[in-house]
Amino acid sequence: MRKRGIWMAVLLVVTVLGVAYGQRRGFMSREFPFREGEDQPTPNDADEKTEFVFARLMYPNWRSNDRVWSMRGAWSIDYPKADRQFVQGLRRLSRVHVRSVEQAVSLDNDDIMNYPWVYVVEPGHWDLTETQVKKLREYLLKGGFLMTDDFHGSMEWDIFMLSMQRVFPDRPVVDLPNSDPIFNVVYNLEGKFQIPGIVNWPFDQTHEYDGIDAKWRGIYDEHGRLMVGICHNMDIADAWEWADSPHYPERYASLAYRIGINYIVYAMTH
Amino acid sequence: MFELLFQHPLAVYRKGELVWQSGWPLWILGMLVVAAIAAAAVFTLRKTVAAGWPAARGVTLWALQSSLVSALLIMLWQPGLSIATLKPKQNVVAVMLDDSSSMSLADTGTARKDLMQRALESGLIDNLKKRFQVRFYKVSDHLERVEDHKSIKAEKQASRIADGLKQIAAETGSLPIGGVLLLSDGADTSGGIDRDTVNALKSRQLPVHTIGFGREQYDRDLALVDVQVPARSLADSRLGAQVILKQRGYAGQKATITLKDGEKTIASKSITLAADGAAQTETLLFNSGAAGVRSLQVSLAAMQNEDNTGNNGLARLVQVDSRKPRILYIEGEPRWEHKFVRRALEDEKTLSLVTMVRTTQNKLYRQGVRDAKELEQGFPATAEEIFAYEGIIIGAVEATYFTPTQQALLKAFVDRRGGGILFLGSRASLADGGYGASEISDIMPVQVGERRTSFHRDRAKVELTAAGRDNLSLRLEEDSARNQERWKKLPELADVQFPGAVKPGAVVLVDATSSQGRTPLLITQNYGRGRTAVLATGGTWRWQMLQPLEDKSHEMFWQQLTRWLVGGTPGPLVASTSNSVYTDESRVMLRAEVRGKQFEILPDGQVEARISGPAGAAATIIMQPDPIQAGVYLGEYSAEQPGSYLVEMISSRAGEQQGIDQVAFRREDGLAEKFHTEQNRELLERLSAETGGKYWKIDELNTLPETITFSEAGISAREIRDLWHLPIVFILLAALRGAEWLLRRRWGGV
Repeated sequence: MRKRGIWMAVLLVVTVLGVAYGQRRGFMSREFPFREGEDQPTPNDADEKTEFVFARLMYPNWRSNDRVWSMRGAWSIDYPKADRQFVQGLRRLSRVHVRSVEQAVSLDNDDIMNYPWVYVVEPGHWDLTETQVKKLREYLLKGGFLMTDDFHGSMEWDIFMLSMQRVFPDRPVVDLPNSDPIFNVVYNLEGKFQIPGIVNWPFDQTHEYDGIDAKWRGIYDEHGRLMVGICHNMDIADAWEWADSPHYPERYASLAYRIGINYIVYAMTH
Repeated sequence: MFELLFQHPLAVYRKGELVWQSGWPLWILGMLVVAAIAAAAVFTLRKTVAAGWPAARGVTLWALQSSLVSALLIMLWQPGLSIATLKPKQNVVAVMLDDSSSMSLADTGTARKDLMQRALESGLIDNLKKRFQVRFYKVSDHLERVEDHKSIKAEKQASRIADGLKQIAAETGSLPIGGVLLLSDGADTSGGIDRDTVNALKSRQLPVHTIGFGREQYDRDLALVDVQVPARSLADSRLGAQVILKQRGYAGQKATITLKDGEKTIASKSITLAADGAAQTETLLFNSGAAGVRSLQVSLAAMQNEDNTGNNGLARLVQVDSRKPRILYIEGEPRWEHKFVRRALEDEKTLSLVTMVRTTQNKLYRQGVRDAKELEQGFPATAEEIFAYEGIIIGAVEATYFTPTQQALLKAFVDRRGGGILFLGSRASLADGGYGASEISDIMPVQVGERRTSFHRDRAKVELTAAGRDNLSLRLEEDSARNQERWKKLPELADVQFPGAVKPGAVVLVDATSSQGRTPLLITQNYGRGRTAVLATGGTWRWQMLQPLEDKSHEMFWQQLTRWLVGGTPGPLVASTSNSVYTDESRVMLRAEVRGKQFEILPDGQVEARISGPAGAAATIIMQPDPIQAGVYLGEYSAEQPGSYLVEMISSRAGEQQGIDQVAFRREDGLAEKFHTEQNRELLERLSAETGGKYWKIDELNTLPETITFSEAGISAREIRDLWHLPIVFILLAALRGAEWLLRRRWGGV
């Protein structure tokens, strides 16, 4: 009886807090405008052979005792709409010859070597195997480039680093200065800011968890070239995915496109 | 035997003119011969037919009788040989004695100089002196008149036979020289007998009789024939030394070639020796190292019981330039090839890569520029801007991107400036980029077509062609066979383009095979003063990504290809000497190819050569314009001391300096005498044959003095030697008559 009372109290507290949070974010007052998982039609030119292909990295998820945490995050978040919508912008705004559809790649074979630029979403939930760690190190040292996105706060950072430190135990993760060519190669991104995911709707707040400030970090090789571009505490893919939505602010979408283009052109020139 | 039968020396028959002494017309002789033959036919054939003999017997007898009567008639006309003969004691014979150190070799058991003395003293000199006045000369690095033959020491480190002969011909113009007698092993160290020397002797009608000494062929010898290395190179480049060698007595055995830079061994190779006497070429690859003059020593390890080990080493110089050529690489769109070419050349300290890529429709991204101004306005549009580079790589850029002025400049960049342009394959290159209709197509090594579907993003395997296998710029492995295999194992290219028909004179180095078929991939050619190439792909980057991290194929390919692209690009002044190493030779020909600041020919410049050499040797030479080639200036220097020399040439016009360049050379003494130490009989025989003399062996010198007398060179008189009373004539007549008699006896007589 006493146990039941405790449960009821907890339920009451959760309900009250949830209603309060929902009212603040507008969930209760308005319909959530972003529908995930809608079918994406395959473009007619999906088979076109092009110079550049948007490669998305598949990875195994972090498993912990916390089942809810373990279920969150996956390589396929925002897939494939974010990828396809972004490459439309890449086509229009640059001279990169790009395929209209993405390519999912893994670190379990050499196929990834055919795609010297790869994007990984939610690496705060990845857990690479030893083989994958070695493959990623080899890929990056040969000239591949990894762009990370959509992971937030200290806990996801720690999980990201558990794998990344095994890839490069000898190379530090550093904050990128504004003067780095990656912020100037096509667009000047010195005034860049945090890009929120749709979870932040209606965007009166742009961070998630304790990831208050956007972090632009990276890992350089011995020649001072970036191998890994780490976009932490931001959700660029959501901005790509919902750039066509009137509910997603244009300023975030525009910056996300500029960031994506810069990261790709940098990878193709350095 | 010859003289017993023919009474006169062979030289009389060789040099004499046939004359008829009877004074009767020759036509009468002809008619009589015809009549005699006809009479013999009637007489003999009629009798043999009447006797019932076969026709063959009659014809045989008729032929014998006709020959006999004809021979007798010919003798009646008194044939003779008219020949010029030197007047006794009134002519001079120049005896030229080889005083070079090779004459001290005792390859036949006795030193060659001793054999020479012995030959002279065993009657030859006395016999000569009976007929002529004899003048002695000794020849080594110079010609010197001596009292007698006893001063020969055979210690000099050179033998300049040709120079000596020319000098005799020139200095004895007022003397009645009847002939020259050369006693030598034929080991001329100045490169043989040239046409000038032969002409000088012929114009004086001076026959040169030669007596050869030394073995004509060794039993056991391993010898360097030549070593060829590039005279100039960029720093830190892979170079090849082509070593040509010959051997006798060691076929199939192992030998070792070593290449040293000073005391440091920089390359070594174990080889299997080819057949006796066959020229064998081996290539040693080495790194040119830092800027400066490399003094290379190539040597063959001595074999067991080798007859001559002095010919196992040769020196060569390579001048490693300190210049750091700049290459401009333009891409019309971001491409992986651009990224990976940049990376491949990242560690290349002697090249500088400047890149510009059109990232968007209106933006260019520049890397490797000297300052913010460089290429700020896009691709260079003036000669001054574009000629600042030594090589250009054109990626996915359609032809119309270049203005007509820029297209003309690209052509001039190769033709006039002497730069290199590499065209890459892409969806905007070659035919797909509209190059077929552009002025740029003139300089391309392929005939670019009009069809715009030549580019395919299909994987393609690569393979070296026969020419590619020999090309050192494509060596990923030192060994040729292993290199070929390594190329076959390279990952497939990401894409390939069909470049069009290969132009005459262009060379295909690499082929590619894709699902679209086989096509030339890497084609090169020289154009004007420069060179162009097509690499019909933008997909070599897969060699980097699809091979193990430690594999350097991609880097090596691009480093070597770009070095080839700019390695031969000249500056406004190109200094050179006729050789890089002068062995026992002091005459150095200097050459400067001079251009103005815009690489226009500079016919009215001033060129000065400042030379510094060993023991403080220094000279300044004002070079003179070559009357044949505009923009070329020539000079001559005599390097008296052995050692290394440095020549700095400076060109100027109206007091303003236009160009500067350096070249080094080395003079070595005593080396040439160690090479080709076998008797060069071929040279001696050729010299004699061309001048009307004869080559003599030591054991046949008794007729030499008389043979020399048959010469028109000195004071001579014509004499006629009768032919009618020769023993051979009598024997012939007797044989004809005897043969007829014997046949008649055998056949039963008629």
